[in-house]
Amino acid sequence: MNEGQKGLEEKVLSKDMCAACGACLGLCPYLKSRQGKVIKLDDCDLTTGRCYAYCPRSQVDWEGLQTKLFGPVYEAIEMGTSRKIVMARATDPVWKGKVQTGGVVSALIDFALRKGMIQKAVLTQREEDLLPYGKIVSQREDVFSCSGSSYISGPTLEALNQGPWKGEERIGVVGLPCQILALAKMKGSNLPTQTPIDRVVLTLGLFCTWALAYKPFKAFLDARFDHRPIRKLDITPPPERLLKVWIGDKVEEISLDEIRAFIRPACQVCPDMTAEFADLSVGTVEGMADWNTLVVRTQRGEELLEQAVAAGLIETRSLTKENLGHLREASLLKKQRALTALKEEGNPDGGYLNLSKELREKIQS
Amino acid sequence: MNPILHQSGKIELLMGNEAIARGALEAGVQVCAAYPGNPSSEIITTLAAVAVERGIHVEWSVNEKVALEVVAGASFAGLRGLCTMKQNGMNVACDFLLNLNLTGCGGGLVVLVADDPGALSSTNEEDSRLFAKLAGLPLLEPATIQETKEMTRWAFELSEKLSLPVLIRSATRISHARSNVRLGELPQENRKPFWEISQTRVTFPVVKNHQRLSDKQFQAAENFETSPFNLYRGPEKPEFLIITCGSGWLYALEAVVSLDLAHRVGILKMGTTWPLPAAWLLDHLSKAEQILFVEEVDPFLENNIKAFFAQHCATLGIKRFFGKADRSLPETGELNPDIVTKTIQRLLNVPYQTRPTEYADRARETVEQWVPGRDIGFCAGCPHRATYWAIKNALALDGRKGILLGDIGCYSLGMGASGFFQMKTLHAMGSGAGLACGVGQLGRFGLDQPVLTVCGDSTFYHAVMPALANARYNGANFLLLLLDNSGTAMTGFQPHPGTGKKANGEPAPILDLKSICRALGAEVEEADPFQLTETTETILRLLQDNNGPRVLILRRECALIRGKQQKKLFQMTIDQGRCLGDQCGCNRLCTRVYKCPGLVWDPTSGKAQIDEAICTGCGVCAEICPASAIGKEAS
Amino acid sequence: MKYSADPFNIIIGGVGGQGNVLASMILGRMLVSQGSIVTIGETYGASQRGGSVMSHLRVSKVDQFSPLIPEGKAHLIAALEPVEGLRMIGQYGNPDLVTLINLRPILPLDALSGKVAYPDLSVILSKIKDLSKEVWTLKATEIALEMGDPILANVIMLGALAALEILPVNRDVFNRTVADLFVPERQTVNLKAFDSGQEAVRKEK
Repeated sequence: MNEGQKGLEEKVLSKDMCAACGACLGLCPYLKSRQGKVIKLDDCDLTTGRCYAYCPRSQVDWEGLQTKLFGPVYEAIEMGTSRKIVMARATDPVWKGKVQTGGVVSALIDFALRKGMIQKAVLTQREEDLLPYGKIVSQREDVFSCSGSSYISGPTLEALNQGPWKGEERIGVVGLPCQILALAKMKGSNLPTQTPIDRVVLTLGLFCTWALAYKPFKAFLDARFDHRPIRKLDITPPPERLLKVWIGDKVEEISLDEIRAFIRPACQVCPDMTAEFADLSVGTVEGMADWNTLVVRTQRGEELLEQAVAAGLIETRSLTKENLGHLREASLLKKQRALTALKEEGNPDGGYLNLSKELREKIQS
Repeated sequence: MNPILHQSGKIELLMGNEAIARGALEAGVQVCAAYPGNPSSEIITTLAAVAVERGIHVEWSVNEKVALEVVAGASFAGLRGLCTMKQNGMNVACDFLLNLNLTGCGGGLVVLVADDPGALSSTNEEDSRLFAKLAGLPLLEPATIQETKEMTRWAFELSEKLSLPVLIRSATRISHARSNVRLGELPQENRKPFWEISQTRVTFPVVKNHQRLSDKQFQAAENFETSPFNLYRGPEKPEFLIITCGSGWLYALEAVVSLDLAHRVGILKMGTTWPLPAAWLLDHLSKAEQILFVEEVDPFLENNIKAFFAQHCATLGIKRFFGKADRSLPETGELNPDIVTKTIQRLLNVPYQTRPTEYADRARETVEQWVPGRDIGFCAGCPHRATYWAIKNALALDGRKGILLGDIGCYSLGMGASGFFQMKTLHAMGSGAGLACGVGQLGRFGLDQPVLTVCGDSTFYHAVMPALANARYNGANFLLLLLDNSGTAMTGFQPHPGTGKKANGEPAPILDLKSICRALGAEVEEADPFQLTETTETILRLLQDNNGPRVLILRRECALIRGKQQKKLFQMTIDQGRCLGDQCGCNRLCTRVYKCPGLVWDPTSGKAQIDEAICTGCGVCAEICPASAIGKEAS
Repeated sequence: MKYSADPFNIIIGGVGGQGNVLASMILGRMLVSQGSIVTIGETYGASQRGGSVMSHLRVSKVDQFSPLIPEGKAHLIAALEPVEGLRMIGQYGNPDLVTLINLRPILPLDALSGKVAYPDLSVILSKIKDLSKEVWTLKATEIALEMGDPILANVIMLGALAALEILPVNRDVFNRTVADLFVPERQTVNLKAFDSGQEAVRKEK
């Protein structure tokens, strides 16, 4: 089995299983991205390559990775290892109006930069035409400009691969679960590389149920709104579930049913709603618009949170039993759906995830 | 002094094309025109080099139809004219030729077509002799280089006698072969042109003129009865007769000697192959009962003589014919002495060996095992390689499976590995743009693949202009990539209306490509193919537009043209420390994929190297290297 | 060994762009000036773009011959490139063959890209020796590069060929022949190249 570009093409690119995370980009001249799609410019005939090794959809030793990063037994099958799960929000008024929901991600990254825990952060910037791309930042105003989700996935990790890097910076990365998984694979790979993966000391994952493919979604928006420039996108929490589109001063609303067609197929087979491989994972809180759910997974993550709280920049509260229960359910449901989708495409034993029979059964029960 | 002008009586080593030029000069030719086409191009090049000295007009016309009209104009005014072309050029010129035959000509007019049997450098394999029959013109085929000169000189006389253009058919092994030629007299004076004002050259009334043409055929055949270009060599009563013409003559001669059959086999060489000299042919056909026809490309002579035979079979009796019709000789591909020898050997059942079997086997095995094939490709520093790289990347990034329709020139190599297999069609001159006018209309039926076409600068003046007008007029959507490398490169760097130079070296006004495209209604931009990233982005941007024809002129001089005049642009080096070689992150991009012959993969060191003897210093590879290991220093 | 066969068959070949057409033309003219009837056949056109090229020369006192040499009938093969030499020998060689080889490989596209391996020069040379009666070699391209222009390799080869003393050509004949072909500055450098070839050629077999 080829574990280079050929394997990547066979297993991921030609099957439309690409999550557009960017892990395979910026490594070589053969793979480039355009409008959120990974394009092969030429054939590479190497039998092993970083593109395949880093890709979160080629082959994942799910349980092995979990054990490597978090400990010997993978027990928390619903949403991965956690030391603590709380509600949190940024308290510094400087974030008000500039960030989504609780502003925790922006506040934590900004704090980590100012404190010198990291010298640079790889975040996701959105272009005027909504196309997301990775950006290396160190200044607060850049953190601002990268805040907010567009619900479109883009090749953020390309920026990590490409740099430029001086060679000493400690780096933090904010990413979707697929991107966080790719980082975990990068850390576990011993292939020689220019990517400064050993200096990535902080990862923040974003909860995610699905992401939209840029090209068709953009075409849809252009057709619907006559190519007018879009300022912001937001999805209202349940039960409403509408896509809100800011155009100039007006806000248009679209039912989510209309845009489900643009969800990436790669998302259907993703088991990871809560970015299980991150130091910290952040999401929304049901029914509480200006709070975030915050999952602390590692010691480093815990240290960062404690320091931020001590500095008065973040406040936390306990999550209600109900909310926690719903979170676990939702996360487990995503896993079940992933296994079902994999089964439907001919992989009854979990395909690229290589889950043990035991784990599969636990998930499905 | 140019050997082509040496005095009468001197012996010179001349190429067939040079012999044609000399023969035309000896006949007092005054106006010569052509479009470059292998294997005919050297005729005009040779004449152009001495045009000023001889006080004659020699031009590269934009295409063969115009070239023939140029020469016909001179002929109508009483001057002798020569028009040369390759087989495809005959196709372009034939519309005029098939009217010219009806109006006749004044001063001797010779049309020389050089065929390319085996398509060694053509898009098709075609026998132009059929045009002689189609147009009712006398046809001559030279078999030796000396004869090539004599025939050309004599053809002008014949043309004036019949008031009809005369067709001479040459082929690669005549046009490009060299041999000793004894030179004849060069005339001292040029004629004065004179257009008798009551002279009309119209084809009407057509049928009457057609009848007149038909009568001229018999006149020509009469004339051929005593031609020294037809001869017989062999025994009085041969057991086996070979009828041949053109390059077949020397092959047949050599074959008969090698097989030691000179006492059994006679060879009838025909130099006047249409119309057939009846009496002479009748006489020689009666010699033998077994006849083999040896000629290049089609069984032209074969079929005509068989038809002649059918007419006279009562007199001639039963005969057996061998040739291309019965596949004794291969119907396609070029002849050579081995094919002819083996055929005769088989038909006459004689033993023959060129070299010991043991040696032959060893030689063949050695080649199979140790000799790699050698594909043709773009020269080092060729701008087309850079252009196709940009096209390849732009099309991949665009992602809609764009279709590139191709045309004739060096850039036709875009079909193969050298051009990254980008070019998808190849037919005649200007056909790429023509096809684009068609495929570019299919959007209305749901074709969402973008349409591109590529042509060269010379091709543009030759045949693309009407297609571009058509595109604007009828609303076809495509991107025309006009590759301007400042010359008609593939055929030998001849000048054209964009180069500012004429065939004889004198300056000429430049017909600006950009202005012409604009005037034809297209949107035009320019780019430098050596700026790879920029050019890729420009092509990608232009692909998004879908409003009629767009033209992108990619301007960069041919590496060989530049090489003749200047030093290298850059001195190239590869930093062995930075070169990633076959590691992940590069995997030999420059040698494995870009494949410029100036870059060599050294498997021992695991790095790429520059071959000083081949690299022309264009600097493009520096932009490709993912490790920035390739350096360029302005030289 | 002086040439005795009539026609005497010579092939000069290499890779398109090496100037073998010019070399064969000069050689042909030299021989014509010494009283021979020479017939030269070549293949150019598209093959110039890096493909294999050959010039066939038939040298005779009697007549013009076919511009293509029959299989197995070459008397002398001068190869501007080693693998091309072997290719030509494969088709036109015989046990009495004399071979002259320029020892500078030009990799075909597939070898450049690493797809196929270009055989070791020592292997090519040994195969050529197996299939020839006499083998002469020189590093014409290296000498040409030292002189500042790789294209001079073709004239260096002519010098080497003259040194074999098989044909009635020498420095004087060359000098007179190129006087017609080149401008005075080019004549000088070409004469120098011719001389270098005469000096540099070595007998391998």
